[in-house]
Amino acid sequence: MSDVLNLTLKIWRQANSEDRGGFQTYQLSGISTHMSFLEMLDVLNEQLIANGEEPVHFDHDCREGICGTCSLMINGQAHGPDRETTTCQLHMRRFNDGDTIVIEPWRARAFPVIRDLVVDRSAFDRIVSAGGYVSVNTGNAPDANSLPVPQQDQEKAMDAAACIGCGACVAACKNASAMLFVSAKVSQFAVLPQGKPERDRRVLRMVAQMDEENFGSCTNTYECEAACPAAISVSNIARLNREYLRASLTSDA
Amino acid sequence: MNSLVRALTSSVGKKFVMGITGLLLCGFLVIHLAGNLLLYVGAEQYNHYAHSMHSQEWLVNIAEVGLLALFAAHLFLAIRLTTENRAARQQRYELKKSKKDDPTTDLHADSWMFISGAVVLAFLLVHLADFRFELRDLDDVAYKTTTASGEIIDKEPFDKAVALLKNPISRWVYLIGSVLLAFHLSHGFASAFQSLGMSHPKYNGLIRVAGIVFAFVVGIGFASFVVWAYYLE
Ligand code: FES
Repeated sequence: MSDVLNLTLKIWRQANSEDRGGFQTYQLSGISTHMSFLEMLDVLNEQLIANGEEPVHFDHDCREGICGTCSLMINGQAHGPDRETTTCQLHMRRFNDGDTIVIEPWRARAFPVIRDLVVDRSAFDRIVSAGGYVSVNTGNAPDANSLPVPQQDQEKAMDAAACIGCGACVAACKNASAMLFVSAKVSQFAVLPQGKPERDRRVLRMVAQMDEENFGSCTNTYECEAACPAAISVSNIARLNREYLRASLTSDA
Repeated sequence: MNSLVRALTSSVGKKFVMGITGLLLCGFLVIHLAGNLLLYVGAEQYNHYAHSMHSQEWLVNIAEVGLLALFAAHLFLAIRLTTENRAARQQRYELKKSKKDDPTTDLHADSWMFISGAVVLAFLLVHLADFRFELRDLDDVAYKTTTASGEIIDKEPFDKAVALLKNPISRWVYLIGSVLLAFHLSHGFASAFQSLGMSHPKYNGLIRVAGIVFAFVVGIGFASFVVWAYYLE
């Protein structure tokens, strides 16, 4: 296997949110298999700039899978073919010489395209602002075991907290539902003592905001879980449903 | 009251109602299938069962209203949710591929719930026209019979059922309906539990398997009556 690839890229280009947009095809040669996917796009952009063309806009920041900024639909799969991998962690060795790669932005009514492959994910920020926090200042690290947390609960909270908010769940879901994201943001607090006091208010407000943003509803297809780079489990969605039901029936709000 | 309305009109609430109505309708399927199995026991037993059930007019009325409410809610939400979910995507992908690697999802029953549900609804309407409202234009054949003295009387439930099941239109509608019902249940049963918030690593596998088994039993069960009637002299 040679470690240089010649590729055909079919990339969604859209000048702004009003523009109708469409696919453009680019030829790229001499791409090293050791490059990351985003580095490959960097090479393309350098070529475009050298030719006096507009580079392809795409979101990226940390490039090490922790910030959740990168967001590409690669050949119909959110973050590309690898499980538990963000676009920035995807490497060109996953592709073959002569491949055509289709690159699209996340598509959801709640995630309007800003430009090319960049979408506006501020709907997620608004959902978190609606209740995805603990209001009290938790101060310095407390003495060990002053607040007992069973190890399983701590694990569940940490697993949920692994969500990087990239939006792959929405992108992969046939209903563009944000329930995996919201369920992770609810669950990371719901199982911990620090999150309990605001538990009801949090879930009610976050779900209300989620609905306001026009995301779809979960039909338990579980594409989100498969696409999630942080391996957030759909059992969190069941917890979200339970939390919501409990809060609706018992809370004062 | 306000909070209840808010809860039931939220995305989570709608899914909850979808799940609970679905599971209650599964309960109805069990009862209906069990009753129908008496067809295999014998005409006498089946007729006895049908007569004693219909002699409880009150109970039948309550059950019918309850079932109608369940179906109406399930159907209304199916249309609502499907429209909303379609709208939430806005623009389709040029290319879309699953990242799941679970072979049991190969048939993608979860992506066909609206369509399979619609076929089941059509089946249900024909079935109600056949049995409940006796609307099918089959008078002499299905609903009435002539006694030795030349008097025209209602057929016994067993004879009526056999006549209707032998009808070439009903036969195919029922057969296709049963298969699609099984397909619908193969996702719907387990999905309902998740929507109701019931998920636990200890039981999830069991629920999924139970859903598939339930789908097979119900599908084969109902389809078998058509096959049985076809070969009945
Ligand atoms: S760029 Fe930060 S996760 Fe990919």
